[in-house]
Amino acid sequence: MIKTVDLCKSVDTSEGQLTILKGISLEIKRSESVAIIGASGSGKTTLLSLIAGLDLPTRGEIVLGGNKITNMDEEQRAKVRGELVGFVFQNFQLLGSLNALENVMLPGELKKDPDVHEKAKDLMVKVGLGHRLSHYPKQLSGGEQQRVAIARAFASSPEILFADEPTGNLDTKTGALIIDLLFNLNKEFGSTLVLVTHDERLASRCDRSIYIASGMLEESSDSINDIQVCR
Amino acid sequence: MNISLALKLLWRDWRSGELSLLLASLVIAVATVTTITLFVDRLQQALVNESATFLAADRVIEFDQPINDTLLLKAEEFGLQRAETLSFLSMVFSEDRAQFSSVKAVDDNYPLRGELIISDRAFERGELVKSGPAEGEVWIESRLLPSLDLTPGEFLDVGVASFVVKKALIKEPDRGGGFNSAGPRVMMNLKDVAATEVVQPGSRLTYRYLFSGTRDSLEQYELWVKPKLPNGSKIFGVKEGAEAIGSALDKAERFLLLGGLLGVILAGVAIALSAQRYSLRHYDHIAILKTLGASPTDIDGLFMTVLLVLGFCATFLGSLLGYMAQFAIVYILDSYLPINLPPAGIAPIILGLTTGFVCLFAFAAPPLIKLRRIEPIRVIRRDIGEGGVDSLLAYSFGTVGVLGLMWWYSGDLKLTMMLFAGGAIALLALSLVAFLMLRSGAALGMQAGSVWRLALAGMQRRGKENTMQILVFGLAIMLLLVLYLIRTALVEDWQTQIPKHAPNHFAINISPEDVKPIAALLDQNDVDSQPIFPMIRGRVIEINRGKDNSNPSSETGHNDAPPSGDTRNLSYAAELPEDNKIIAGEWWAPNYEGEVLVSIEKDIAFNNNISIGDDLTFEIQGRHLKAKVSSIRVVNWDSMQPNFYMMLSPGALKDFPSTFMTSFYLRPDQKIFLNELLRNYPTMTVIAVDAIIKQIKNIISQVTLAIELILILILISGALVLLSAIQASMDERLKQHAILRTLGASQRLVLGSLLIEFCALGLFAGILATFGAELTVYGLMEEIFNLNYSPSPELWIIGPLLGMVLVGVLGVLATRSVVKTPPIVALRNVI
Repeated sequence: MIKTVDLCKSVDTSEGQLTILKGISLEIKRSESVAIIGASGSGKTTLLSLIAGLDLPTRGEIVLGGNKITNMDEEQRAKVRGELVGFVFQNFQLLGSLNALENVMLPGELKKDPDVHEKAKDLMVKVGLGHRLSHYPKQLSGGEQQRVAIARAFASSPEILFADEPTGNLDTKTGALIIDLLFNLNKEFGSTLVLVTHDERLASRCDRSIYIASGMLEESSDSINDIQVCR
Repeated sequence: MNISLALKLLWRDWRSGELSLLLASLVIAVATVTTITLFVDRLQQALVNESATFLAADRVIEFDQPINDTLLLKAEEFGLQRAETLSFLSMVFSEDRAQFSSVKAVDDNYPLRGELIISDRAFERGELVKSGPAEGEVWIESRLLPSLDLTPGEFLDVGVASFVVKKALIKEPDRGGGFNSAGPRVMMNLKDVAATEVVQPGSRLTYRYLFSGTRDSLEQYELWVKPKLPNGSKIFGVKEGAEAIGSALDKAERFLLLGGLLGVILAGVAIALSAQRYSLRHYDHIAILKTLGASPTDIDGLFMTVLLVLGFCATFLGSLLGYMAQFAIVYILDSYLPINLPPAGIAPIILGLTTGFVCLFAFAAPPLIKLRRIEPIRVIRRDIGEGGVDSLLAYSFGTVGVLGLMWWYSGDLKLTMMLFAGGAIALLALSLVAFLMLRSGAALGMQAGSVWRLALAGMQRRGKENTMQILVFGLAIMLLLVLYLIRTALVEDWQTQIPKHAPNHFAINISPEDVKPIAALLDQNDVDSQPIFPMIRGRVIEINRGKDNSNPSSETGHNDAPPSGDTRNLSYAAELPEDNKIIAGEWWAPNYEGEVLVSIEKDIAFNNNISIGDDLTFEIQGRHLKAKVSSIRVVNWDSMQPNFYMMLSPGALKDFPSTFMTSFYLRPDQKIFLNELLRNYPTMTVIAVDAIIKQIKNIISQVTLAIELILILILISGALVLLSAIQASMDERLKQHAILRTLGASQRLVLGSLLIEFCALGLFAGILATFGAELTVYGLMEEIFNLNYSPSPELWIIGPLLGMVLVGVLGVLATRSVVKTPPIVALRNVI
């Protein structure tokens, strides 16, 4: 479902070029749930943003759902994201000017889905917020906002769900509830799940974990770790 | 394109208040432009109508023979009203006296514009009438009654016919100068002319065909008829017909145009600023939409739909508001306006609407076009992901829009390019200066107390944004200063144009032996008079040997000045007349005795391509005279002093018999002196121009009021720009001060630092604005308004002070919510 070959990412800083990822090659199968684990600054979020098509690598190749997105322009990548991908972010990323239901309707509206309203409402009920449809993000708690974000992520029935530290802004109890919800919905929708976290316990709920340190994969049972130094 | 999603987003943005500022500035911008355009249009129409009373019409065809009826009847098909007059000079007789008079025969439709005032007795206020004398009657100018020893009811002979003198003619609208207007007026009915038998082959006649109607119809008819008119005839409107009024109107129109243009630019800047803020607040939205699958094309589609819908709403609301606003202004000013404004036409509304849309796409589109380049990665890392915004494409919209609008409003591509290039270079230079000013301010702040340090350090930290703000504040203040300075210069120019005691009478046909006694009589009676000039009729028949230029009018069409081939008054003098200015060549020495030289008026020289050193051959009284062009002069025709298109060197015309002319000022109580003068020197003709002067002054006062009103409207636009610029920096300020307040900063500290920051920005902006205003005013005065530029030292105090107070006060008033909003609310809401 996802394949990367020799993925490198460097950025220019005031102190010269900084290499964040150094030749990452990996493969994730359909319906698999994979945790990308690493310490802060290890490059795990950068890896997620690359394989989700949010950013472009300095070098290397990414195939997402059969689409070689490294050869695509932003227009084509956007299409792939819209068709295949759902996101859950650490800081929720809800649109403040839209109420909860409207936030969940957004992916469907972009696809001009005629049943968008009903589907969004069902999802809001599934995440336990059927009674807070017209509330705005700032009127919701952190946990509730993340539940809206999860509902939005599944609104387009994505084949792949990317989650970046989904519990990072939540307390332990709420975090646990959110994770349950995420895994349950993922199971129900049969999506491939790629989850970035530094929480080992959370990672253990995934089928597999990929460890990343200083921009390189450390250990992985079945991934190809062909490390090269990026220039 | 996903229109339904765009509309939903638009509605959701509106509901959450995101759109209010952008919509408000769009509506206010369109309203300001519409108000100005409508008001200017109504004023222009009113001024032209008012000025048309000088001609008794909107357009006049003049010829010394009758014009073919088919050409005249066609005017009716264009929906024009028409009237006809015939003027000639003739001796008129009472029972025992005679007077050389200027007779005007008018038809029943005369006058089409302006007022005819008649009275039962001479020199009275009189009553208004709609048309001229009936058949068999004449009306005569007041001073003819005593000089012919007549009272109304008695008979006057014109040629072989007798007419009842029915009324004294107090005022007629088109009592201009010209040869056939030289004597005191006798007005009669056109149908009676044949009976007088005065009009014979070879008579010197002036046929005038008057037309009035809508601007469009007049222009269409003029376009149609002009090529069909016989050689030697001319068609003209008020600007060409009355030079003094024409130049005042021209300058006023240019000012109003400039006002409108500045209004549009100010409105555009306000729109650009609020669109920039709207765009900035949508960076995160776009990133999220992109992660959800929206492509750059989708983003373009979404925001272009938003822009279009906004445009329709704003232009509709703005036009409506503008329409009502100009009504309100006219209503409020009704008692102050010396003229009645004609109703507003549809054209200015369309102009306002179009301006609105052009503004919208030129100024609001650029920040929104940038949105397509926002990268989705921004959802994860906010410090990156603004993308390589497509600045070139985005700003090319703005550039084309500004250029287009400037061209449209000025109608002058060269001027537009000059102003635009000058503006662009000035902007670059000023941004550098503004940035340096900020740095020096910050350096000072490091040694200052906490409030100052906070303010000045803040200024430097947001260096780029503040440089931009200084430029915007500076631009707004500069445009206001420019308009104020031009307005002041124009009003001063007009006030000095016709001095209080400008000559209000011309005396012509003075015989050489009467020159000295008349000068003495004027002096004895304490009459303020000008030098007496010789005057000989003559025409140019050749320019540079062998090149026939006897009828240049057929090539040049109607000129502002009569072409050189016409017979005109020539004169000679040792000294250059007081109000003339040499612009090329040299005036001769006072004791000059060499070959014959001639000094030519600039329009004549320009229109006939005459330059220094050319030889002109004059035909004077059947004889030929050669003269070399030695200088070209600018003549102030508005000064009411004797002036000539061509002046020859002393002695050049001594072999030709000549008459003399002068002009003098008579107070109203001295009017009766005219009778003594004419009784003693009956061959002399006096032309009274006091009524014309009064009318010119009246029009100038109206024009002055008009430009002052426009200045006020532009001030409102300027304030809007200042507010938008302050609002644009609001989010950043809210966030920064919320952090300070959570750290324990007092309201006083926050407000104090805000006040210092805005005052400093205002001061810098004021200095730049003053510099820019001086430069711009110099260019405009020299190139556009033909006024003499003089620097304004007081501006260097007023400008910076104005900037400091205006920006300081508006800034603190607009941002006081910074200290009122709870820090947590500010921190949560701000992007």
